[in-house]
Amino acid sequence: MLVFYLLRRIGVLCTMLFGLLCITFVIANVAPGDPAALAAGPNANPSMIETIRQEYGLDKPLPEQFVTYVSDILRGNLGRSISTSEPVAQQVATALPNSVELVLFAMAFAVVVGISLGVLSAVCRDTVIDHAVRLFSVSGIALPMFWFGLLLQLVFAVGLGWLPVSGRLGLVTTPPEPITHLLIVDALLRGQWSTAWEAFTYLLMPAFVLSFPTLASICRLTRAEMIETLSSDYVLGARAQGLGNYSIRIRHALRNAMLPVLAVIGLYYGWTLGGTALVETVFDWPGLGLLAVNSALMSDFKPVMAVTLIIGFNVMLANFIVDIAYAVLDPRLRRA
Amino acid sequence: MPLKCNLAATMALACTASFLVLSAQPGAAFEVVGGKNYVVWGGRTPPSNFDPAQKFDAPHHLFDSNIYEPLVKYKGDPAKIVPWIAASWTNSPDGKVWTFKLDPKAKFQNGDPVDAEAVKYSFSRQLTVNKGVAWMLSPILKPENIKVVDAGTVEFTLDRPSPSFIGYIPWWMIVNPKQIEPNVKDNDQGQEWMMTHTAGSGPFAIKSFKQDATYVLEARDDYWKGWPQGDKHFGGVIYQVIREPSAQRTALITKHADIVEGLTTADYQQVKNTPGITIENNVGASPFAIKFNYVNGPTADVNLRKAIAYAFDYSALPELYNGDATLMTSPFPSAVQGHIDVPDIPHQDLAKAKEYLAKTKWPKGGLTLEYVSQQGNDETRRVGLVLLSSLKPLGIDVKLTPKLWANMVADAQKPETAPNMTGLFTATYSVDPDSTASQYDKSAWGQWFGVSHYNDEKVFDLIEKGKTEMDWSKREPIYAEIQKELTDDQPEVFSYTPNVRLAHRDYVKGYEYCPVEMSGFADLQSLWIDQ
Amino acid sequence: MSEASAIEATATSADASENPRGVWREARRALWLLSRSFSSVVGLVIVAIFLVLAILGPYIVPYPGASTGNVDMSSMLLPPSMEHWFGTDDMGNDIFSRVVIGTRISLQIGLTITLGAAVIGVPLGIFSGYLGGNVRRVIMAFTDLFLALPSLVLAIPIVTVLGPGVTNATIALAIVWWPGYVRLVDSKALSLSKEPFVEAARAMGASTLRIVFRYMLPNCTSPLIVKASLDMGAAILAAAGLGFIGLGAKAPSPEWGAMLSVARGYLPTWWWFAVFPGLAIYVSVLGFNLLGDGLRDIFDPRTTSQ
Repeated sequence: MLVFYLLRRIGVLCTMLFGLLCITFVIANVAPGDPAALAAGPNANPSMIETIRQEYGLDKPLPEQFVTYVSDILRGNLGRSISTSEPVAQQVATALPNSVELVLFAMAFAVVVGISLGVLSAVCRDTVIDHAVRLFSVSGIALPMFWFGLLLQLVFAVGLGWLPVSGRLGLVTTPPEPITHLLIVDALLRGQWSTAWEAFTYLLMPAFVLSFPTLASICRLTRAEMIETLSSDYVLGARAQGLGNYSIRIRHALRNAMLPVLAVIGLYYGWTLGGTALVETVFDWPGLGLLAVNSALMSDFKPVMAVTLIIGFNVMLANFIVDIAYAVLDPRLRRA
Repeated sequence: MPLKCNLAATMALACTASFLVLSAQPGAAFEVVGGKNYVVWGGRTPPSNFDPAQKFDAPHHLFDSNIYEPLVKYKGDPAKIVPWIAASWTNSPDGKVWTFKLDPKAKFQNGDPVDAEAVKYSFSRQLTVNKGVAWMLSPILKPENIKVVDAGTVEFTLDRPSPSFIGYIPWWMIVNPKQIEPNVKDNDQGQEWMMTHTAGSGPFAIKSFKQDATYVLEARDDYWKGWPQGDKHFGGVIYQVIREPSAQRTALITKHADIVEGLTTADYQQVKNTPGITIENNVGASPFAIKFNYVNGPTADVNLRKAIAYAFDYSALPELYNGDATLMTSPFPSAVQGHIDVPDIPHQDLAKAKEYLAKTKWPKGGLTLEYVSQQGNDETRRVGLVLLSSLKPLGIDVKLTPKLWANMVADAQKPETAPNMTGLFTATYSVDPDSTASQYDKSAWGQWFGVSHYNDEKVFDLIEKGKTEMDWSKREPIYAEIQKELTDDQPEVFSYTPNVRLAHRDYVKGYEYCPVEMSGFADLQSLWIDQ
Repeated sequence: MSEASAIEATATSADASENPRGVWREARRALWLLSRSFSSVVGLVIVAIFLVLAILGPYIVPYPGASTGNVDMSSMLLPPSMEHWFGTDDMGNDIFSRVVIGTRISLQIGLTITLGAAVIGVPLGIFSGYLGGNVRRVIMAFTDLFLALPSLVLAIPIVTVLGPGVTNATIALAIVWWPGYVRLVDSKALSLSKEPFVEAARAMGASTLRIVFRYMLPNCTSPLIVKASLDMGAAILAAAGLGFIGLGAKAPSPEWGAMLSVARGYLPTWWWFAVFPGLAIYVSVLGFNLLGDGLRDIFDPRTTSQ
């Protein structure tokens, strides 16, 4: 029964989310160092630090802090950043759309280009093209994203001057009034073509770098699946029925090869989100990864934990959706 | 509610900025709105609020000191205290009672007069909030001892005589109680409201801001004290958050920013030869020192401390800044009153270092010491490498440990957890030598700058004497003696002050340097654009 | 007793790893298969070179002092030349020497993370797959939880808590790395536990530990080797990433990621400072990946792409 399966999966999802809360809380609370001292700033005397400690509730026992922590999160209150005294929810709300934009673009690019190259490679098996694509895909996984990003900056921004070095948008450019909070989408919706184009030029390098490992993996997977399905009885049968080469390859093989690729999209989504920490640091992209790294370097745990929480939740949700989609497509899985 | 504020601010900014774009002039970052120049300031960190009572560091001070004003200000190099909201001040001969006469012209931005009531309110509020600069006066001033004599006169009665009192006043900003009081919630002194609102008398006001990104300051034509450069003053300042030094550099070169702070030495080297860019470069007053653990571990031995101080390669330090750093000639920076050049301050002398080492338990070396510095600071990391290399000839190995600031603060609290050596910058907030000397006092124990836990009764007595002595001719020799004693005891390797640098386009004029100001600061009131 | 050993004999006769001659033959076959694939040979050669550099590095470089914190301000930031092949860094040290000496650190980190993850993950996976039931449910719930979190996203807060440094970065990555091994071994153990020879051993009263070490573990070896080889590359990459952010190795350690993190501030004028350490990361990771791919093709012919 699909309903029971759905309920069970929701139960699992909730358990995992609770586990996630426990993990983030445990990490945050075994921290050495004194967050109150950090917030009070240099020159603070002990009484000033004590003021801050009470204000942030850092003087309460741990179980009490955990209950407050969970109930606060349920109410959408992620606490206040200790280094900027801004509400973390607000920091996350500003950073999230930027990361979503980056990740969505990177994923779309990886899927489209990865599958195309994979199919090309499988169809032209053992030719020069195949070897080139395979070399590219193997090196894609090995390439350190942060170094690759720096190299691209050196060549395309500093050397050739084609693209901006880093950032989200030019300093003098007005961001469009938010509708979806995705900058390019908003600019398009508002009809601000030049702003949209500018935002796109800023997006290009980080998205390309971020997509690289995923692209390479999708490319490899597609190639392998295509080769397997192309040589399967099923496709051979279709060929025997007199269907042309082109038709065989596209209609039958690709459709069958796609399923396993789609199955790992959830996993790749997680990879890509994880990669934002490095890519956003290199490109000074104001997203979740940069928020986490900057806060981590300042020992400001609340934003770090919030980012871990949000990314974890995102990945779990993505996997949940993929599971459900699969169960709808393939009823056999519902018993698993 | 904050979301709404944010939305409104964003919209306001959007409108402003679209004006800016429409009227943009090619070839410069600054924008012209209604005939006024708006300059773009590239700052590394965003301010988190505009309340002078809550935070005291570089980005906040830039905003606070241009929106609000103190009774007196530091100006010039060497720094002098000049009247500001207070037209004049006097103190009783015993240094306990300080009376300020306010400038009758002084007005808040909403038109209210800046009166004695407002001054009293601002000082009590700062002491009650107990954040930001509260530490400077909280040991000697109680809120109930601030007296309104009349609307134009305010009187402070201190717990004990204090010649250094006036030296801290420039950091205490005056706020308008009439604007804050109606917005106080749960006895919070209006802290919540002041996160996003202002109540000042200064030459600039917040026009709009987008958290973490852009903050627009607008100049006030009707500013009560007037503008030194007349009509040429800025129309406003756009504070643009550019976190990465490399992005700041690019913004300055491509004229997307007019002034940037926080470049690294490597960046300054790279922009130096770019035409159209001026680098302000002045001797600073934030000394860097390698502080020893004075009571625990091997560095409790004065001979080891001396050996290290004589082995250290001081000549490499200015190189780290491409020459833009000044070696210390005393424990006190040169900007402080009563600074002397201590004649026998250690310089690199390996023979002497080995002599001292021979008197320790480790005549041949063979020990490892830990050096802790702040994570992410390129210069202190490199000082650590210089230290490591300098101590090799003594057979002393150095373990370099970068730490997060919060952890450094935590470790500094007790001698048992304080590392052998800690590399630290200390700031100078007053030209009065007491503020520098107090960092070596017993009262510094437990605080980050007291990581040494320096302990010398004779010096403590001298510090105590200097704190309350009102006669400068008697104070001066006290501080000279403190400097000599400190050099003898060597609680730290006295090393250098980095120069205070600021890079801007050459059409930005009127920069005034003041050594007690923080780095990354400029008095926006004095600046203007020369086309 | 005798019956049990008889079953053992039949079980192990199929298992070449029990027989020294078989091991030798197996290895020769693997090497032969490996040599037929060009990319695998490239991977093997790269890995071999880096292994040699890791062992001999400090003894063969032109400036052995470069990694131990020498300071020579007069030769600061020199471009590549015959004297300094990769140029010099911000303290006047030879970058070539530092990169070569750094090989050992990166390989050590990669190996420690991989081994640490395997030490945590493999036993959990075996017990999960072999015991099944509630034990499996609990273990797999934990595994899925950790698996859902991208490794860096969980490693960053852990390192922040433990404090930055090579050791702590390694620990943090090992903590987040194990779930992959549980998954791999669990599925293998699950299918193995239904194999006749395991069923038989259990019926003969062999202890759980004996079954695990005698029958299950040896049969997991080849997928584990493949995974470990691929993980070496990924772990080196992740550790370098932490170093780059500023949470990894400390100065003056010539760890590649940390070097890159410092060098970044010296771009673009002093480009060589950043280019060469990054190149070292790239090539070494590429080597382990190519080798891992080659090994997979040999051990698991089903996914062979040739």
